Amino acid sequence: MSDVEISTTVKRRDFLNGIATAAAVGAGAAIMPKPAQAAVTGLKPHYGMLIDLRRCIGCHACSVSCKAEFDVPLGATRSWVEYVEKGDYPDVSRSFLPRLCNQCSKPACVDVCPTGATWKRKADGVVVVDSDVCIGCKYCLLACPYDARFINPVTGSADKCDFCLHRVEKGLEPACVNACIGDARIFGDLNDPSSKISREIATNPVTVLRPEQGTEPNVYYIAADHSDEYTAAAQGRYVRIDTHRRQQERK
Amino acid sequence: MTSRRNFLKLGAVAATATAAITGTGALTWAKENRIKGGRDYSPTTGKARKAIPSACWQCVSRCPIIGFIEEGRLVKVEGQPNSIRTDGKVCAKAHAGPNQVYDPDRILYPMRRVGKRGEGKWKRVSWDDALTEVAGRLKKLRDDGQPEKFMFHYGRMKASSSKLVGMFLANYGTGTIGNHTSICEGAKWTGQELTWGKHYDNWDFDHTKYVLNLGSNLLEAHTNHTSEAQRLVKALADRRIKMVTFDVRLSNTAAKSTEWVPVKPGTDIAVLLAMSNVVMNEGLYQGEGEAFLSFCRATPNVNASTADKVAALKAHLASYTPEWAEKISGVAADKIRTIAREFATTKPAVLVTYRGLVAHYYGPEGERAAQMLAAITGNIDNPGGRCKAVGAKWKFPSGPKDKPTAKKLKIVDGFKGQAKLPTHHINHQIFNVIKDGSLGRPDVYMWYCYAPVYSNGDCKANAAVMKDETLIPYSVCINPFYDESAALADIILPDATYLERWDWEDMVSPNQVPEHYIRQPLVKPLGEARNFGDVVCDLAERMGFPLGIKNMEDFVEKSCEMTPGVKEAGGFEYMKTHGVWHDPKAKPSYYGYAKPVKAADLAKDGVILDEATSTYWNWKKAKVKTVEDAKAKGYAHTKDAYKTYIGQKIGDKVYKGFKPDKVNKTGYFELYSTVMEDNGFAPMPTYKAIPEHVAMKPDDMILTTFKVNVQTHSRTQNCKWLTEIYHDNPAWINPASAEARNIKEGDRIRVASGIGHIETTARVTPAVAPGVIAIAMHCGHWEYGRYASGKKSPFVKEDIVHDKQMWWKSHGEHPNWIIPNDPDPISGQQRWMDTVVNVSKSVSA
Repeated sequence: MSDVEISTTVKRRDFLNGIATAAAVGAGAAIMPKPAQAAVTGLKPHYGMLIDLRRCIGCHACSVSCKAEFDVPLGATRSWVEYVEKGDYPDVSRSFLPRLCNQCSKPACVDVCPTGATWKRKADGVVVVDSDVCIGCKYCLLACPYDARFINPVTGSADKCDFCLHRVEKGLEPACVNACIGDARIFGDLNDPSSKISREIATNPVTVLRPEQGTEPNVYYIAADHSDEYTAAAQGRYVRIDTHRRQQERK
Repeated sequence: MTSRRNFLKLGAVAATATAAITGTGALTWAKENRIKGGRDYSPTTGKARKAIPSACWQCVSRCPIIGFIEEGRLVKVEGQPNSIRTDGKVCAKAHAGPNQVYDPDRILYPMRRVGKRGEGKWKRVSWDDALTEVAGRLKKLRDDGQPEKFMFHYGRMKASSSKLVGMFLANYGTGTIGNHTSICEGAKWTGQELTWGKHYDNWDFDHTKYVLNLGSNLLEAHTNHTSEAQRLVKALADRRIKMVTFDVRLSNTAAKSTEWVPVKPGTDIAVLLAMSNVVMNEGLYQGEGEAFLSFCRATPNVNASTADKVAALKAHLASYTPEWAEKISGVAADKIRTIAREFATTKPAVLVTYRGLVAHYYGPEGERAAQMLAAITGNIDNPGGRCKAVGAKWKFPSGPKDKPTAKKLKIVDGFKGQAKLPTHHINHQIFNVIKDGSLGRPDVYMWYCYAPVYSNGDCKANAAVMKDETLIPYSVCINPFYDESAALADIILPDATYLERWDWEDMVSPNQVPEHYIRQPLVKPLGEARNFGDVVCDLAERMGFPLGIKNMEDFVEKSCEMTPGVKEAGGFEYMKTHGVWHDPKAKPSYYGYAKPVKAADLAKDGVILDEATSTYWNWKKAKVKTVEDAKAKGYAHTKDAYKTYIGQKIGDKVYKGFKPDKVNKTGYFELYSTVMEDNGFAPMPTYKAIPEHVAMKPDDMILTTFKVNVQTHSRTQNCKWLTEIYHDNPAWINPASAEARNIKEGDRIRVASGIGHIETTARVTPAVAPGVIAIAMHCGHWEYGRYASGKKSPFVKEDIVHDKQMWWKSHGEHPNWIIPNDPDPISGQQRWMDTVVNVSKSVSA
């Protein structure tokens, strides 16, 4: 567990530059985030989520609504909330980091799947798993740098968040978005520059988790604390991560 | 069943089909305007789940919800999108509602004890047998002229349940009725009754510009939790308002605040008094505060001028300087000054308080001091301030006309002299009082929505009395679940969970506009569980005094058909379909105290002006014999005269004022209380050191308890989705305190008070003040089913899938074993936060 979680701030300028670059050279050449590229292509929707942690109170309404939506077995989590506590008395802070599958644009889990049971949908960018094809080999669990996958004990298949596709396709928001007390979660189409999520990403400093992994996550955060307890411990600082799930250590 | 693969691949087709059916066009959902709740679909079949509006009851906030049914099973609960209270949001506990219904350890049938009490041996009996037995016991007491020997003890019984069960008790004739408020926040309510009358303060976060919080963790737990929490976080994020939280511990609320100010336990009142000192001495009361003083009483003379009031306040507060408060609270004087100035000059500002302030020795004084600071800055019942609560007013059937005069055992207010103003009773003393016996003992002890053994302090003593058949001859538990108290019952009547029953509801609105809503069954009660509201109708019938109400559904239906507004909207049918109703034309309620009293109301028979208090009251309704007697005795000293209050004369006008409740205060906002004075206390809010804290030895620590966001105090630990997140409660200890005791993270530690000790685990964290050990409630159940305690109830014979999935082995430790049941001398509030403990590394470790 020595991986270090670091942050990358996507600045508005970079974002705008991204659009400019993309517009100039065409799709696929943008160096910065996916939305910029997508905005130009103007193709099918590409779903993403933005979580504004200024509005998050760490209440777990998202975690539990997800449990109910899918009857997620105990021990497994499609959606969870980590707490990051740090500092020295009395200058102590605690911040919250809701977690879910990042629906990466370059999903490591898809690359390793030997059966093609998991893929990124062209229609909307959501990474899905077909439990009828999955053989439960767990390669994807190991490949995912975010610990977002699990073997569902009921189906024996790999499982994870799919942005509540069954709701989204019926015009609803994902369950966690609907449940969020502070309206911290914005779900929408990253391909549409006029969507709320695209506008918020364009006008706020946002980060993603572990950008160095090259997975290009589609879950963005505003005001996330990316502190890591192992790095902090090495530096003699107090950082405590509570994952609030069976895996008590954060991957 | 459609396979997952088909669903995933057919997704786009299905969406198109939906669009075709609804006619909204496939592009709609691809864009922005997504539906805000109220609908849900099965992730496996894609079929719509049946949606039914109802109301949560995991906690007392009782938020409107939508339940979703799939193949006859309740699978999901979410917020009611049409609720003006919650705006469709509910907390994690509400989302875990289905866990209550399908708890594998539920009690599904009436059970009669067959072994010794507490031995855990039970026999299933029919409802007819059970009720014949209970009604037989009760009827005999009633027929013998001893109805008071039936004690009914309830916890969070609210709204229609409170009314219908109350109707049963009144018609039976017992007044021996216990509640649980003294283990909750009774001191806060007593403090409010002494200042502004009827209790409950709503914090108007939608309009405030500054939040000062002393001892409330409202982002994790509150009696109006989600309604207030969502408004607060939006105020913080959208309007960037400042919030300062004083707490001994960095709660999530403190963490989200602009600033956390650690304070020594039980000394927040010193900070509040010093802030009022700053406000008065620096003239910061001028403006809104000064204007509000005309509605305040601050001197013995009710007709004092504002200048006199200012002088009296300054004189009273003179010694409460920030430097004085610094020595007591550990909060720097400069910090107190700065925050006082900010609070007084940012308009409007809201003062938030809860148990951290009041669950102490002299707890009501903390609330009175808070009320004073809010008053002198003009932040009372104003937009953006601390407002008088507004809730739905239901009309409901009143039951039979001729009721017996209730008789009661005087056992719910503790022992004589324990508290002078127990306006919400002292029920944590009930087992001590029963054991003592000098005030009488009930023959039948029945409890409902309550966990007496677990929820009070000194669990060992509670259990000992509950178990003793010589002290409590017959005990009846009404509960869907087998908790520590049910285990000590003689008979258990299985209640329907809140998701299987009827009720009407009325919780306070955060936006000052009342909302009516109902609870209706999302699924039929499992097994033979029955709503206790139905059971009391049955019991009354069996004892020969029918209530004229068939069951709770009947009561709710009749209430809907007679409540103005609800009735015109369509009554019961409307409520069943929509779940919630509010008057779309209603305006938020503020400044109710400044409304004039109509001349006709003053001219009514029996209404007189009390010269001493300038209060109009009705001597006839107060049952005084003659007007001369009434005038001689006066409003303040006539028993229950407050119930006849009409208005307050201020200058030459008569205002509605701050209507009194529970005590004979005037219609002023009383910063000076003759009620307190008459009971031997200081008339103005006064600091009193906590005796045990004064007597602390250098090594001692102060134990404080708290709640987390995914659990209620005692009744959600059976919910697997919640307890999976929070099942262990290590004790928070500051690194400095830990080092002094050679305690390291994860060490087993011994926490010992005057009544016993517990062993728990140390969580060494800077998020708690030095000298304080903080242990969350919720954990350490020794019953309540497998998820809470690791122990199944006696009613489950076979293993089911739940066992294989449950991965946590630890269930934490319950702090109440070492917290004595100790009343505050004013209100009788249980002093949860005052216990002095010795903390050391566990020897056995």
